[in-house]
Amino acid sequence: MNRRQSKVLRTLARLVIRLWQMRRVLLLVVPYLFLFGWLFAAGSRMDVRPGELYGVTDEPAWESPDADHWFGTTVNGADLFELSRLAMATSVSVAVVSVSFGIALALLVTMLFVFDPREKRFELLNVVGQSGFLLPSFVVLLVLTGGSGGSLGVAILGLILVIAFHLCPVLTTWFQEGEDGFDIVAGYALGLSRREIVMNRILPKILRRLVGVFATYVPVVVLVEMALSFLGFTGDRLSCGAMIAYGQGLIIEAPWMAIYPGLMATAVVLVLSLLGWRVSSAMRTGPLPRLF
Amino acid sequence: MARIVLQRLLVSVIRFAAAGLALIVLIELAFCVIGGSDRHVWRAESYGPVPPGLSARPVSWAGLLEDRVRVSLPVLFICVPGILLIGYSWGILGARLRRFHGARLLAAPFSLFACVPGFWFVVLVAIYSYFHWKRPGFADDLIVEQGPDLLTWWHAAVVALPALAAGAASQIRAVSSVLEREVTRPYLRGLFMAGYSEEDIFYRHAFRRALPALFAAGDRTFSALAGSIVCLEYAFRYPGIGSLLVEAVRLGSYGGILVSAFVLAAFVSAGVIFCESASRLIKPEAAGG
Repeated sequence: MNRRQSKVLRTLARLVIRLWQMRRVLLLVVPYLFLFGWLFAAGSRMDVRPGELYGVTDEPAWESPDADHWFGTTVNGADLFELSRLAMATSVSVAVVSVSFGIALALLVTMLFVFDPREKRFELLNVVGQSGFLLPSFVVLLVLTGGSGGSLGVAILGLILVIAFHLCPVLTTWFQEGEDGFDIVAGYALGLSRREIVMNRILPKILRRLVGVFATYVPVVVLVEMALSFLGFTGDRLSCGAMIAYGQGLIIEAPWMAIYPGLMATAVVLVLSLLGWRVSSAMRTGPLPRLF
Repeated sequence: MARIVLQRLLVSVIRFAAAGLALIVLIELAFCVIGGSDRHVWRAESYGPVPPGLSARPVSWAGLLEDRVRVSLPVLFICVPGILLIGYSWGILGARLRRFHGARLLAAPFSLFACVPGFWFVVLVAIYSYFHWKRPGFADDLIVEQGPDLLTWWHAAVVALPALAAGAASQIRAVSSVLEREVTRPYLRGLFMAGYSEEDIFYRHAFRRALPALFAAGDRTFSALAGSIVCLEYAFRYPGIGSLLVEAVRLGSYGGILVSAFVLAAFVSAGVIFCESASRLIKPEAAGG
């Protein structure tokens, strides 16, 4: 009797085992995929102008929330739920791009100092960081976006710079802490070069933690981006901040226009924050998720 | 003690000057290089008197600053003690209850509230105020002419609450992480083996030794608080220093931007001086650890 399992069964068994091994990663990745899939299901429309949606006409076609339109409709009758979803998709995209480039810039700047042979190699970065913290980041973003006439490109550029500025001191601390470990001291004693130690011992641990940083920064940047668009400094572009700002003018006639976009924004930021905290704690300690 | 405070003051003055220089460069970059304006920041004619958009009555820059700072003070008066009180007390308690994820649980309500866009919260309050209390919702709608001015404090509280929640959440996490790092040090294991009780180890040793780091953990809160107040004040039509900054940026008034940003930087600087001086004045050995 042939006791060997069929090829299909073996492949299936291997797949199940692999999925079980990857369960920690899947538990974090699947909610992200669901959220992003849901947000971007309607596509991204950068041509929608909130000024047109909220511009009051003689006979407004708005409807209060009902079974067909959960969030109600705008002045021209557009569904507010779909618009809020589109707006959040744009905000999340801006945040993802800004945080990715911000982290990359911070890592690049820090790496310029890491190979300095002096003991106080991060002194300049620390001094600049301590002086720069006196100017709140939001003030910097406000002046930059407001002064340049308010465009999304400048807002993203400002966000990247601010994120990199905030992250540089964190990275320097991580590099300094990483060099205090017993294994690093042993590496030096064994004659490994500084380059080998940094690239093979310290940097991988920091790169791992950066995934958590990315996940925790995204909701914060979404909030900042919405605040800038609320103030009207990211151009006439669909964003929950801009929708709330326009809705303020109609709080007596159509209060849902200011209430529901904020509700959607809160829900998305909340989900992103919860996932971000989980990712951050998973990447900081404990065994590495199998995927990595 | 005086030497440390003076040293910190000197360092802060240098940092403040550097931040001021950075602000001037930023204004030039934003308005002239990117924005294409021909009003350079170093020219005297770019400033001039207070524009009518920043003040309804004719007033000097000093007068405008005084008016706006006086309005913003109640907000800061609620926020700063609130953040420090909640942040430190709950943070210490959270670290003490670390076995039960105390810090995470205690910070959770504040962290959840911090996920709510602050400007949306104040708009909600304005809507509620209009429909349920039958009175205009925003801060610039009503003026109390006689009797106790409770409305000022109510308006200040509306602006302060979202900023307080976000600040308290981050402060609780910062304080508890400092303490949780301290309690993992090897000397505490030695004390435990020697028969000290957990409470003794935490409060009489770990907490006392972590005091300088605990004080230092407060300095970043002031910067975040100043930033959040800018948006919240403007959203609630609250005529404070944050609103002044937004209005000045809208009008392209360099004087208004510089005045308001310098006041915010001075506030952050004062907080940092306090934290740094306290952190250096307290020696863990002297605390009996």
